[in-house]
Amino acid sequence: MRRGGFERTVIYLIASAFTFFAAFPVIWALNISLKFEKDIITRHVSLLPNPATLTNYIAIWTQSNLPDLMWNSAVATFFTVVICVFAGTLAAYSVSRLEYRGRGNVLLFFLILRMFPVVLMIIPLFIIMRQAGLLDTRIGLALAYTAFLLPIFIWMMKGFFDAIPMELEEAARIDGCTRIGAMWLVVLPLVKGGLWACAVFIGIAAWNEYLFALMLTTSSGSRTWPVGLQLMVGEFQLPWGALTAGGILSILPVLALFAIVQRSMVRGLAQGAVKG
Amino acid sequence: MAPTLASRIAGISDTKAFPWLLLLPALVLVFAVIIYPTISGIDLSFRQMRLNRMDLGTGYVGLRHYIALLDDPVFWISLQNTAAWVIGTVILELAFGLVIAVALDYELPGFRFMSVIILLPWFLPLVVAGNLWALMLDSRLGIINAALQGMGLIDGFKAWFADPNWALPAAIAVETWHGFPFFGLLLLAGLKGIPHELYEAAAVDGAGFWRRFIHIQLPGLRMIIVATVVLRAISLMNSPELLLILTGGGPGRSTQVLSLYAFQKAYREFNFGYAGALSVLMFVLLMVCSWLYVRYSNALKAD
Repeated sequence: MRRGGFERTVIYLIASAFTFFAAFPVIWALNISLKFEKDIITRHVSLLPNPATLTNYIAIWTQSNLPDLMWNSAVATFFTVVICVFAGTLAAYSVSRLEYRGRGNVLLFFLILRMFPVVLMIIPLFIIMRQAGLLDTRIGLALAYTAFLLPIFIWMMKGFFDAIPMELEEAARIDGCTRIGAMWLVVLPLVKGGLWACAVFIGIAAWNEYLFALMLTTSSGSRTWPVGLQLMVGEFQLPWGALTAGGILSILPVLALFAIVQRSMVRGLAQGAVKG
Repeated sequence: MAPTLASRIAGISDTKAFPWLLLLPALVLVFAVIIYPTISGIDLSFRQMRLNRMDLGTGYVGLRHYIALLDDPVFWISLQNTAAWVIGTVILELAFGLVIAVALDYELPGFRFMSVIILLPWFLPLVVAGNLWALMLDSRLGIINAALQGMGLIDGFKAWFADPNWALPAAIAVETWHGFPFFGLLLLAGLKGIPHELYEAAAVDGAGFWRRFIHIQLPGLRMIIVATVVLRAISLMNSPELLLILTGGGPGRSTQVLSLYAFQKAYREFNFGYAGALSVLMFVLLMVCSWLYVRYSNALKAD
Protein backbone atom coordinates (compact mmCIF):
# COMPACT_ATOMS: atom_id res chain seq x y z
CA MET A 1 0.00 0.00 0.00
CA ARG A 2 1.31 3.43 -0.82
CA ARG A 3 0.80 6.09 1.77
CA GLY A 4 1.38 9.78 1.37
CA GLY A 5 4.14 11.59 3.23
CA PHE A 6 1.64 13.70 5.19
CA GLU A 7 -0.24 10.62 6.40
CA ARG A 8 3.01 9.00 7.47
CA THR A 9 4.02 12.05 9.46
CA VAL A 10 0.71 12.18 11.31
CA ILE A 11 0.90 8.47 12.09
CA TYR A 12 4.44 8.86 13.40
CA LEU A 13 3.33 11.76 15.59
CA ILE A 14 0.43 9.76 17.05
CA ALA A 15 2.58 6.69 17.73
CA SER A 16 5.28 8.82 19.34
CA ALA A 17 2.77 10.62 21.52
CA PHE A 18 1.39 7.33 22.83
CA THR A 19 4.88 5.93 23.37
CA PHE A 20 5.72 9.00 25.41
CA PHE A 21 2.44 8.76 27.33
CA ALA A 22 3.11 5.09 28.17
CA ALA A 23 6.74 5.50 29.15
CA PHE A 24 6.78 8.88 30.87
CA PRO A 25 5.56 7.89 34.37
CA VAL A 26 8.23 5.20 34.60
CA ILE A 27 10.97 7.51 33.32
CA TRP A 28 9.82 10.16 35.76
CA ALA A 29 10.00 7.73 38.69
CA LEU A 30 13.48 6.68 37.58
CA ASN A 31 14.43 10.34 37.53
CA ILE A 32 13.07 10.94 41.04
CA SER A 33 14.70 7.80 42.41
CA LEU A 34 18.12 9.05 41.31
CA LYS A 35 17.78 12.43 43.03
CA PHE A 36 18.73 13.57 46.50
CA GLU A 37 15.71 14.16 48.72
CA LYS A 38 16.37 17.91 48.94
CA ASP A 39 16.24 18.13 45.12
CA ILE A 40 12.92 16.26 45.06
CA ILE A 41 10.99 18.39 47.52
CA THR A 42 11.48 21.62 45.71
CA ARG A 43 8.90 23.46 43.68
CA HIS A 44 11.49 23.96 41.02
CA VAL A 45 10.95 20.77 39.02
CA SER A 46 14.09 19.66 37.23
CA LEU A 47 13.83 17.17 34.40
CA LEU A 48 17.13 15.41 35.07
CA PRO A 49 18.71 14.21 38.31
CA ASN A 50 21.61 16.59 38.85
CA PRO A 51 23.58 15.52 40.78
CA ALA A 52 22.53 11.87 40.43
CA THR A 53 22.83 9.44 43.32
CA LEU A 54 22.14 5.84 44.22
CA THR A 55 21.54 6.73 47.90
CA ASN A 56 17.82 5.96 47.64
CA TYR A 57 18.44 2.49 46.24
CA ILE A 58 20.95 1.67 48.94
CA ALA A 59 18.64 3.06 51.61
CA ILE A 60 15.52 1.12 50.60
CA TRP A 61 17.49 -2.10 50.10
CA THR A 62 19.41 -2.03 53.37
CA GLN A 63 17.11 -0.13 55.73
CA SER A 64 13.69 -1.58 54.88
CA ASN A 65 12.46 -5.15 54.63
CA LEU A 66 12.09 -4.89 50.84
CA PRO A 67 14.49 -7.82 50.20
CA ASP A 68 12.35 -10.06 52.45
CA LEU A 69 9.16 -8.82 50.82
CA MET A 70 10.52 -9.52 47.35
CA TRP A 71 11.72 -12.95 48.45
CA ASN A 72 8.21 -13.79 49.72
CA SER A 73 6.76 -12.65 46.40
CA ALA A 74 9.30 -14.74 44.52
CA VAL A 75 8.40 -17.87 46.51
CA ALA A 76 4.64 -17.37 46.06
CA THR A 77 5.17 -16.63 42.36
CA PHE A 78 7.29 -19.75 41.92
CA PHE A 79 4.63 -22.01 43.45
CA THR A 80 1.89 -20.35 41.39
CA VAL A 81 3.78 -20.92 38.15
CA VAL A 82 4.61 -24.54 39.02
CA ILE A 83 0.99 -25.33 39.86
CA CYS A 84 -0.40 -23.58 36.77
CA VAL A 85 2.14 -25.09 34.38
CA PHE A 86 1.53 -28.60 35.67
CA ALA A 87 -2.28 -28.59 35.91
CA GLY A 88 -2.85 -26.05 33.14
CA THR A 89 -0.71 -27.65 30.45
CA LEU A 90 -2.35 -31.05 30.91
CA ALA A 91 -5.81 -29.48 30.83
CA ALA A 92 -5.01 -27.31 27.80
CA TYR A 93 -3.67 -30.34 25.94
CA SER A 94 -6.85 -32.21 26.74
CA VAL A 95 -9.22 -29.51 25.46
CA SER A 96 -7.07 -28.72 22.43
CA ARG A 97 -5.90 -32.07 21.07
CA LEU A 98 -8.33 -34.75 22.17
CA GLU A 99 -11.82 -35.47 20.89
CA TYR A 100 -14.46 -36.36 23.43
CA ARG A 101 -17.98 -35.57 24.50
CA GLY A 102 -18.29 -32.60 26.80
CA ARG A 103 -15.12 -30.89 25.56
CA GLY A 104 -16.99 -27.76 24.49
CA ASN A 105 -18.66 -27.52 27.86
CA VAL A 106 -15.34 -27.87 29.67
CA LEU A 107 -13.95 -24.98 27.62
CA LEU A 108 -17.00 -22.83 28.31
CA PHE A 109 -16.70 -23.72 31.99
CA PHE A 110 -13.11 -22.43 32.12
CA LEU A 111 -14.21 -19.27 30.34
CA ILE A 112 -17.06 -18.55 32.75
CA LEU A 113 -14.70 -19.06 35.68
CA ARG A 114 -12.84 -15.95 34.55
CA MET A 115 -15.94 -13.92 35.32
CA PHE A 116 -16.33 -15.00 38.94
CA PRO A 117 -15.91 -11.97 41.18
CA VAL A 118 -12.68 -12.00 43.12
CA VAL A 119 -14.25 -10.30 46.13
CA LEU A 120 -16.80 -13.09 46.47
CA MET A 121 -14.03 -15.70 46.58
CA ILE A 122 -11.67 -13.80 48.79
CA ILE A 123 -13.87 -13.87 51.92
CA PRO A 124 -14.50 -17.63 52.03
CA LEU A 125 -10.88 -18.24 51.02
CA PHE A 126 -9.84 -16.33 54.11
CA ILE A 127 -11.99 -18.60 56.27
CA ILE A 128 -10.94 -21.80 54.48
CA MET A 129 -7.26 -20.93 54.59
CA ARG A 130 -7.50 -20.12 58.26
CA GLN A 131 -9.07 -23.49 58.97
CA ALA A 132 -6.49 -25.28 56.86
CA GLY A 133 -3.62 -23.43 58.50
CA LEU A 134 -2.72 -21.87 55.13
CA LEU A 135 -3.52 -18.30 56.09
CA ASP A 136 -0.45 -16.11 56.08
CA THR A 137 1.65 -18.67 54.22
CA ARG A 138 3.24 -18.31 50.81
CA ILE A 139 1.89 -21.64 49.55
CA GLY A 140 -1.63 -20.58 50.60
CA LEU A 141 -1.19 -17.39 48.65
CA ALA A 142 0.02 -19.33 45.61
CA LEU A 143 -3.10 -21.55 45.77
CA ALA A 144 -5.30 -18.46 45.89
CA TYR A 145 -3.50 -16.95 42.87
CA THR A 146 -4.20 -20.15 40.98
CA ALA A 147 -7.89 -19.36 41.37
CA PHE A 148 -7.80 -16.51 38.89
CA LEU A 149 -4.73 -17.45 36.84
CA LEU A 150 -5.36 -21.10 35.97
CA PRO A 151 -8.37 -20.43 33.68
CA ILE A 152 -6.42 -17.72 31.81
CA PHE A 153 -3.41 -20.02 31.52
CA ILE A 154 -5.53 -22.83 30.07
CA TRP A 155 -7.08 -20.54 27.46
CA MET A 156 -3.74 -19.04 26.42
CA MET A 157 -2.03 -22.42 26.30
CA LYS A 158 -4.87 -23.91 24.26
CA GLY A 159 -4.14 -21.29 21.60
CA PHE A 160 -0.54 -22.46 21.33
CA PHE A 161 -1.57 -26.14 21.18
CA ASP A 162 -4.16 -25.38 18.49
CA ALA A 163 -1.47 -23.86 16.29
CA ILE A 164 0.37 -27.19 15.94
CA PRO A 165 -0.83 -29.34 13.03
CA MET A 166 -2.62 -32.51 14.07
CA GLU A 167 -0.80 -34.43 11.31
CA LEU A 168 2.50 -34.28 13.21
CA GLU A 169 1.02 -36.12 16.12
CA GLU A 170 -0.81 -38.58 13.89
CA ALA A 171 2.41 -39.34 12.01
CA ALA A 172 4.17 -40.09 15.30
CA ARG A 173 1.35 -42.40 16.32
CA ILE A 174 1.50 -44.29 13.04
CA ASP A 175 5.21 -44.74 13.70
CA GLY A 176 4.24 -46.62 16.87
CA CYS A 177 4.27 -43.80 19.38
CA THR A 178 1.69 -44.01 22.16
CA ARG A 179 -0.65 -41.07 22.79
CA ILE A 180 1.37 -39.90 25.75
CA GLY A 181 4.62 -40.54 23.89
CA ALA A 182 3.46 -38.30 21.04
CA MET A 183 2.42 -35.65 23.53
CA TRP A 184 5.73 -35.71 25.38
CA LEU A 185 8.11 -36.16 22.43
CA VAL A 186 6.36 -34.36 19.58
CA VAL A 187 3.86 -31.77 20.83
CA LEU A 188 5.46 -30.43 24.01
CA PRO A 189 8.79 -29.52 22.39
CA LEU A 190 6.88 -27.57 19.72
CA VAL A 191 4.92 -25.47 22.23
CA LYS A 192 7.97 -24.77 24.38
CA GLY A 193 8.03 -21.10 23.36
CA GLY A 194 4.35 -20.67 24.11
CA LEU A 195 4.69 -22.48 27.40
CA TRP A 196 7.46 -20.11 28.45
CA ALA A 197 5.35 -17.12 27.47
CA CYS A 198 2.31 -18.35 29.41
CA ALA A 199 4.45 -19.17 32.44
CA VAL A 200 5.99 -15.70 32.36
CA PHE A 201 2.57 -14.07 31.99
CA ILE A 202 1.27 -15.99 35.02
CA GLY A 203 4.47 -15.20 36.89
CA ILE A 204 4.16 -11.46 36.27
CA ALA A 205 0.52 -11.46 37.35
CA ALA A 206 1.36 -13.33 40.57
CA TRP A 207 4.34 -11.08 41.27
CA ASN A 208 2.13 -7.99 40.86
CA GLU A 209 -0.94 -9.21 42.77
CA TYR A 210 -2.16 -6.97 45.58
CA LEU A 211 -5.69 -7.76 46.76
CA PHE A 212 -5.37 -11.43 47.72
CA ALA A 213 -2.02 -10.71 49.34
CA LEU A 214 -3.52 -7.90 51.39
CA MET A 215 -6.33 -10.13 52.65
CA LEU A 216 -4.46 -13.39 53.09
CA THR A 217 -1.16 -12.29 54.62
CA THR A 218 -0.92 -10.69 58.02
CA SER A 219 2.70 -10.90 59.08
CA SER A 220 6.06 -10.01 57.60
CA GLY A 221 6.82 -13.74 57.31
CA SER A 222 4.71 -14.06 54.17
CA ARG A 223 3.83 -10.49 53.18
CA THR A 224 4.57 -9.76 49.53
CA TRP A 225 6.21 -6.64 48.13
CA PRO A 226 3.09 -4.84 46.78
CA VAL A 227 1.49 -4.99 50.22
CA GLY A 228 4.73 -4.00 51.94
CA LEU A 229 5.42 -1.13 49.56
CA GLN A 230 1.90 0.22 49.94
CA LEU A 231 2.38 0.12 53.72
CA MET A 232 5.55 2.14 53.29
CA VAL A 233 3.62 4.72 51.24
CA GLY A 234 0.64 4.94 53.55
CA GLU A 235 1.62 4.24 57.11
CA PHE A 236 5.34 4.75 57.32
CA GLN A 237 5.39 7.80 55.02
CA LEU A 238 8.80 7.01 53.61
CA PRO A 239 10.45 9.73 51.50
CA TRP A 240 9.55 9.79 47.80
CA GLY A 241 13.09 9.06 46.68
CA ALA A 242 13.28 5.81 48.62
CA LEU A 243 9.76 4.79 47.56
CA THR A 244 10.37 5.32 43.86
CA ALA A 245 13.66 3.43 44.18
CA GLY A 246 11.70 0.58 45.81
CA GLY A 247 9.11 0.69 43.03
CA ILE A 248 11.77 0.58 40.32
CA LEU A 249 13.56 -2.33 42.03
CA SER A 250 10.32 -4.31 42.30
CA ILE A 251 9.42 -3.93 38.64
CA LEU A 252 12.90 -4.86 37.39
CA PRO A 253 12.06 -8.60 37.26
CA VAL A 254 8.87 -7.78 35.34
CA LEU A 255 10.73 -5.63 32.82
CA ALA A 256 13.44 -8.24 32.31
CA LEU A 257 11.03 -11.14 31.78
CA PHE A 258 8.73 -9.05 29.62
CA ALA A 259 11.61 -8.00 27.36
CA ILE A 260 12.66 -11.62 26.86
CA VAL A 261 9.33 -13.16 25.91
CA GLN A 262 7.21 -10.20 24.76
CA ARG A 263 6.79 -11.40 21.19
CA SER A 264 5.33 -14.82 21.87
CA MET A 265 3.48 -13.60 24.93
CA VAL A 266 1.69 -10.97 22.89
CA ARG A 267 0.69 -13.63 20.38
CA GLY A 268 -0.67 -15.89 23.14
CA LEU A 269 -2.60 -13.10 24.80
CA ALA A 270 -4.18 -12.02 21.54
CA GLN A 271 -5.18 -15.57 20.65
CA GLY A 272 -6.51 -16.46 24.08
CA ALA A 273 -8.60 -13.34 24.45
CA VAL A 274 -9.83 -13.01 20.89
CA LYS A 275 -11.04 -16.56 20.74
CA GLY A 276 -12.54 -16.17 24.20
CA MET B 1 7.13 -60.01 33.09
CA ALA B 2 5.47 -57.20 35.03
CA PRO B 3 4.60 -54.17 32.91
CA THR B 4 6.91 -51.21 33.48
CA LEU B 5 5.55 -47.92 34.72
CA ALA B 6 6.11 -46.31 31.34
CA SER B 7 4.10 -48.92 29.49
CA ARG B 8 1.34 -48.72 32.07
CA ILE B 9 1.01 -44.98 31.58
CA ALA B 10 1.09 -45.54 27.85
CA GLY B 11 -1.76 -48.02 28.27
CA ILE B 12 -3.89 -45.51 30.15
CA SER B 13 -3.23 -42.87 27.54
CA ASP B 14 -5.23 -44.80 24.97
CA THR B 15 -8.31 -45.26 27.12
CA LYS B 16 -11.46 -43.19 27.02
CA ALA B 17 -10.78 -41.76 30.47
CA PHE B 18 -7.51 -40.18 29.39
CA PRO B 19 -8.86 -36.70 28.46
CA TRP B 20 -10.55 -36.47 31.84
CA LEU B 21 -7.46 -37.75 33.60
CA LEU B 22 -5.51 -34.87 32.08
CA LEU B 23 -8.21 -32.45 33.22
CA LEU B 24 -8.31 -33.86 36.72
CA PRO B 25 -5.61 -31.73 38.44
CA ALA B 26 -7.05 -28.52 36.97
CA LEU B 27 -10.62 -29.48 37.88
CA VAL B 28 -9.66 -30.38 41.45
CA LEU B 29 -7.84 -27.07 41.86
CA VAL B 30 -10.64 -25.06 40.30
CA PHE B 31 -13.15 -26.75 42.57
CA ALA B 32 -11.07 -26.11 45.67
CA VAL B 33 -10.15 -22.48 45.05
CA ILE B 34 -13.00 -21.15 42.87
CA ILE B 35 -16.19 -23.20 42.96
CA TYR B 36 -16.24 -24.11 46.63
CA PRO B 37 -15.30 -20.61 47.88
CA THR B 38 -17.87 -19.03 45.56
CA ILE B 39 -20.65 -21.32 46.76
CA SER B 40 -19.70 -20.79 50.37
CA GLY B 41 -19.56 -17.04 49.66
CA ILE B 42 -23.14 -17.15 48.42
CA ASP B 43 -24.05 -19.16 51.52
CA LEU B 44 -22.31 -16.57 53.70
CA SER B 45 -24.48 -13.81 52.28
CA PHE B 46 -27.49 -15.40 54.00
CA ARG B 47 -25.71 -15.74 57.31
CA GLN B 48 -24.62 -13.66 60.21
CA MET B 49 -20.84 -13.62 60.16
CA ARG B 50 -18.81 -10.94 61.84
CA LEU B 51 -15.33 -12.04 62.77
CA ASN B 52 -15.06 -9.34 65.42
CA ARG B 53 -18.47 -10.14 66.89
CA MET B 54 -18.51 -13.92 66.99
CA ASP B 55 -20.90 -13.68 69.96
CA LEU B 56 -23.63 -12.97 67.38
CA GLY B 57 -23.13 -16.50 66.06
CA THR B 58 -23.14 -17.59 62.43
CA GLY B 59 -26.76 -18.55 61.99
CA TYR B 60 -28.88 -17.95 58.90
CA VAL B 61 -30.57 -14.58 58.72
CA GLY B 62 -32.36 -15.07 55.44
CA LEU B 63 -32.49 -12.02 53.22
CA ARG B 64 -31.63 -9.59 55.97
CA HIS B 65 -28.38 -8.40 54.41
CA TYR B 66 -30.01 -7.91 51.03
CA ILE B 67 -32.84 -5.87 52.54
CA ALA B 68 -30.31 -3.83 54.51
CA LEU B 69 -28.47 -3.18 51.27
CA LEU B 70 -31.47 -1.51 49.70
CA ASP B 71 -31.59 0.93 52.61
CA ASP B 72 -27.86 1.55 52.55
CA PRO B 73 -27.17 4.92 50.86
CA VAL B 74 -23.51 3.94 50.35
CA PHE B 75 -24.64 0.98 48.28
CA TRP B 76 -26.57 3.22 45.89
CA ILE B 77 -23.68 5.69 45.62
CA SER B 78 -21.32 2.78 44.96
CA LEU B 79 -23.58 1.46 42.25
CA GLN B 80 -23.62 4.85 40.54
CA ASN B 81 -19.86 5.25 40.89
CA THR B 82 -19.27 1.75 39.56
CA ALA B 83 -21.24 2.63 36.43
CA ALA B 84 -19.32 5.89 35.93
CA TRP B 85 -15.99 4.20 36.65
CA VAL B 86 -16.53 1.26 34.30
CA ILE B 87 -18.19 3.17 31.46
CA GLY B 88 -15.79 6.12 31.62
CA THR B 89 -12.70 3.94 31.69
CA VAL B 90 -13.85 1.55 28.97
CA ILE B 91 -14.78 4.37 26.58
CA LEU B 92 -11.43 6.13 27.03
CA GLU B 93 -9.43 2.93 26.79
CA LEU B 94 -11.30 1.80 23.69
CA ALA B 95 -10.77 5.19 22.02
CA PHE B 96 -7.05 5.24 22.83
CA GLY B 97 -6.71 1.58 21.89
CA LEU B 98 -8.41 2.13 18.50
CA VAL B 99 -6.22 5.10 17.65
CA ILE B 100 -3.00 3.36 18.58
CA ALA B 101 -3.97 0.10 16.87
CA VAL B 102 -4.79 1.87 13.59
CA ALA B 103 -1.52 3.82 13.85
CA LEU B 104 0.66 0.80 14.64
CA ASP B 105 -0.95 -1.16 11.81
CA TYR B 106 1.03 1.03 9.37
CA GLU B 107 4.12 -0.97 10.39
CA LEU B 108 6.51 1.91 9.80
CA PRO B 109 10.16 1.54 10.82
CA GLY B 110 10.54 1.70 14.61
CA PHE B 111 6.96 0.70 15.34
CA ARG B 112 7.85 -2.72 16.71
CA PHE B 113 9.95 -1.11 19.41
CA MET B 114 7.27 1.49 20.10
CA SER B 115 4.59 -1.16 20.46
CA VAL B 116 6.64 -2.92 23.15
CA ILE B 117 6.96 0.35 25.10
CA ILE B 118 3.25 1.09 24.69
CA LEU B 119 2.39 -2.34 26.03
CA LEU B 120 4.43 -1.77 29.18
CA PRO B 121 1.81 -0.09 31.44
CA TRP B 122 -0.43 -3.15 31.13
CA PHE B 123 2.24 -5.29 32.78
CA LEU B 124 3.10 -2.92 35.59
CA PRO B 125 1.71 -3.70 39.04
CA LEU B 126 -1.18 -1.46 40.10
CA VAL B 127 0.63 -0.60 43.31
CA VAL B 128 3.42 0.94 41.25
CA ALA B 129 1.16 2.41 38.56
CA GLY B 130 -1.08 4.03 41.17
CA ASN B 131 1.76 5.52 43.15
CA LEU B 132 3.61 6.76 40.07
CA TRP B 133 0.56 8.80 39.20
CA ALA B 134 -0.04 9.85 42.77
CA LEU B 135 3.50 11.22 42.66
CA MET B 136 2.95 13.04 39.36
CA LEU B 137 -0.37 14.47 40.56
CA ASP B 138 0.99 15.37 44.00
CA SER B 139 -0.31 18.66 45.36
CA ARG B 140 3.14 19.93 46.36
CA LEU B 141 5.63 18.63 43.82
CA GLY B 142 3.64 16.92 41.09
CA ILE B 143 4.99 17.43 37.59
CA ILE B 144 1.49 17.45 36.09
CA ASN B 145 0.49 20.30 38.36
CA ALA B 146 3.66 22.13 37.36
CA ALA B 147 2.95 21.54 33.67
CA LEU B 148 -0.71 22.58 33.85
CA GLN B 149 0.20 25.70 35.79
CA GLY B 150 2.92 26.46 33.28
CA MET B 151 0.34 26.29 30.50
CA GLY B 152 -1.97 28.51 32.53
CA LEU B 153 -4.73 25.89 32.78
CA ILE B 154 -4.87 25.91 36.59
CA ASP B 155 -4.18 28.70 39.05
CA GLY B 156 -2.32 26.79 41.73
CA PHE B 157 -1.21 23.24 42.48
CA LYS B 158 -4.26 21.05 42.87
CA ALA B 159 -4.81 18.08 45.20
CA TRP B 160 -6.64 16.01 42.59
CA PHE B 161 -7.49 13.05 44.81
CA ALA B 162 -8.72 15.28 47.64
CA ASP B 163 -11.34 17.01 45.50
CA PRO B 164 -14.65 15.09 45.38
CA ASN B 165 -15.30 16.40 41.86
CA TRP B 166 -11.92 15.42 40.49
CA ALA B 167 -11.00 12.25 42.37
CA LEU B 168 -12.99 9.87 40.15
CA PRO B 169 -11.95 11.45 36.83
CA ALA B 170 -8.32 11.42 37.99
CA ALA B 171 -8.60 7.75 38.93
CA ILE B 172 -10.19 7.01 35.54
CA ALA B 173 -7.23 8.72 33.85
CA VAL B 174 -4.78 6.54 35.78
CA GLU B 175 -6.70 3.35 35.00
CA THR B 176 -6.86 4.36 31.33
CA TRP B 177 -3.08 4.66 31.23
CA HIS B 178 -2.84 1.20 32.73
CA GLY B 179 -5.48 -0.46 30.54
CA PHE B 180 -5.41 1.10 27.04
CA PRO B 181 -2.54 -1.15 25.89
CA PHE B 182 -4.85 -4.14 26.38
CA PHE B 183 -7.26 -2.69 23.80
CA GLY B 184 -4.40 -1.58 21.57
CA LEU B 185 -2.87 -5.05 21.52
CA LEU B 186 -6.07 -6.96 20.78
CA LEU B 187 -7.42 -4.48 18.23
CA LEU B 188 -4.06 -4.51 16.44
CA ALA B 189 -4.26 -8.31 16.31
CA GLY B 190 -7.75 -7.88 14.84
CA LEU B 191 -6.58 -5.41 12.19
CA LYS B 192 -3.88 -7.87 11.10
CA GLY B 193 -6.65 -10.36 10.43
CA ILE B 194 -8.44 -8.15 7.89
CA PRO B 195 -7.77 -9.52 4.38
CA HIS B 196 -5.50 -7.38 2.22
CA GLU B 197 -7.82 -7.60 -0.77
CA LEU B 198 -10.34 -5.40 1.02
CA TYR B 199 -7.81 -2.58 1.29
CA GLU B 200 -6.73 -3.02 -2.32
CA ALA B 201 -10.32 -2.88 -3.53
CA ALA B 202 -10.84 0.29 -1.48
CA ALA B 203 -7.68 1.83 -2.92
CA VAL B 204 -8.96 1.16 -6.44
CA ASP B 205 -12.16 2.99 -5.49
CA GLY B 206 -10.02 5.86 -4.27
CA ALA B 207 -11.07 5.55 -0.64
CA GLY B 208 -9.14 7.77 1.76
CA PHE B 209 -8.23 7.26 5.37
CA TRP B 210 -11.69 7.87 6.82
CA ARG B 211 -13.59 5.73 4.39
CA ARG B 212 -11.09 2.94 4.94
CA PHE B 213 -11.60 3.26 8.68
CA ILE B 214 -15.40 3.43 8.62
CA HIS B 215 -16.06 0.84 5.92
CA ILE B 216 -13.28 -1.70 6.38
CA GLN B 217 -11.52 -1.46 9.70
CA LEU B 218 -14.44 -0.79 12.06
CA PRO B 219 -16.67 -3.55 10.64
CA GLY B 220 -13.69 -5.92 10.66
CA LEU B 221 -13.07 -5.20 14.32
CA ARG B 222 -16.69 -5.44 15.46
CA MET B 223 -16.43 -8.84 17.14
CA ILE B 224 -13.17 -8.02 18.86
CA ILE B 225 -14.48 -4.69 20.12
CA VAL B 226 -17.48 -6.39 21.69
CA ALA B 227 -15.29 -9.09 23.25
CA THR B 228 -12.67 -6.71 24.63
CA VAL B 229 -15.24 -4.26 25.98
CA VAL B 230 -17.06 -7.01 27.86
CA LEU B 231 -13.89 -8.65 29.21
CA ARG B 232 -12.50 -5.33 30.33
CA ALA B 233 -15.78 -4.17 31.87
CA ILE B 234 -15.91 -7.40 33.86
CA SER B 235 -12.37 -7.03 35.13
CA LEU B 236 -12.92 -3.37 36.03
CA MET B 237 -16.09 -4.20 37.92
CA ASN B 238 -14.24 -6.99 39.70
CA SER B 239 -11.08 -5.28 40.82
CA PRO B 240 -11.02 -2.56 43.46
CA GLU B 241 -7.20 -2.45 43.62
CA LEU B 242 -6.45 0.87 41.99
CA LEU B 243 -9.09 2.79 43.91
CA LEU B 244 -8.00 1.08 47.10
CA ILE B 245 -4.47 2.31 46.47
CA LEU B 246 -5.31 5.80 45.23
CA THR B 247 -8.25 6.96 47.31
CA GLY B 248 -9.68 4.19 49.49
CA GLY B 249 -13.10 5.30 48.25
CA GLY B 250 -12.75 8.91 49.34
CA PRO B 251 -12.90 11.82 49.64
CA GLY B 252 -16.29 11.27 51.20
CA ARG B 253 -17.80 8.51 49.06
CA SER B 254 -16.86 10.07 45.75
CA THR B 255 -14.78 7.12 44.49
CA GLN B 256 -16.57 4.32 46.37
CA VAL B 257 -17.37 1.44 44.00
CA LEU B 258 -19.14 -1.87 44.70
CA SER B 259 -16.08 -4.12 44.71
CA LEU B 260 -14.20 -1.74 46.98
CA TYR B 261 -17.16 -1.40 49.33
CA ALA B 262 -17.48 -5.17 49.61
CA PHE B 263 -13.76 -5.58 50.19
CA GLN B 264 -13.69 -2.91 52.90
CA LYS B 265 -16.74 -4.38 54.63
CA ALA B 266 -14.80 -7.64 54.91
CA TYR B 267 -11.29 -6.35 55.43
CA ARG B 268 -11.94 -3.43 57.75
CA GLU B 269 -15.20 -4.27 59.51
CA PHE B 270 -14.95 -8.06 59.29
CA ASN B 271 -18.63 -8.07 58.36
CA PHE B 272 -18.34 -11.10 56.10
CA GLY B 273 -22.08 -11.68 55.74
CA TYR B 274 -22.82 -8.19 54.45
CA ALA B 275 -19.73 -8.22 52.22
CA GLY B 276 -20.96 -11.54 50.88
CA ALA B 277 -24.33 -10.09 49.97
CA LEU B 278 -22.64 -7.19 48.17
CA SER B 279 -20.42 -9.59 46.21
CA VAL B 280 -23.35 -11.80 45.25
CA LEU B 281 -25.10 -8.77 43.83
CA MET B 282 -21.99 -7.95 41.83
CA PHE B 283 -21.89 -11.54 40.64
CA VAL B 284 -25.45 -11.21 39.36
CA LEU B 285 -24.56 -7.98 37.55
CA LEU B 286 -21.51 -9.65 35.99
CA MET B 287 -23.56 -12.61 34.87
CA VAL B 288 -26.06 -10.29 33.20
CA CYS B 289 -23.15 -8.63 31.37
CA SER B 290 -21.77 -11.99 30.28
CA TRP B 291 -25.18 -13.13 29.12
CA LEU B 292 -25.64 -9.95 27.09
CA TYR B 293 -22.21 -10.58 25.58
CA VAL B 294 -23.02 -14.13 24.56
CA ARG B 295 -26.34 -13.08 23.06
CA TYR B 296 -24.92 -10.05 21.34
CA SER B 297 -21.95 -11.85 19.86
CA ASN B 298 -24.18 -14.65 18.61
CA ALA B 299 -26.41 -12.05 16.97
CA LEU B 300 -23.34 -10.50 15.37
CA LYS B 301 -22.12 -13.85 14.11
CA ALA B 302 -25.51 -14.47 12.59
CA ASP B 303 -25.38 -11.50 10.23
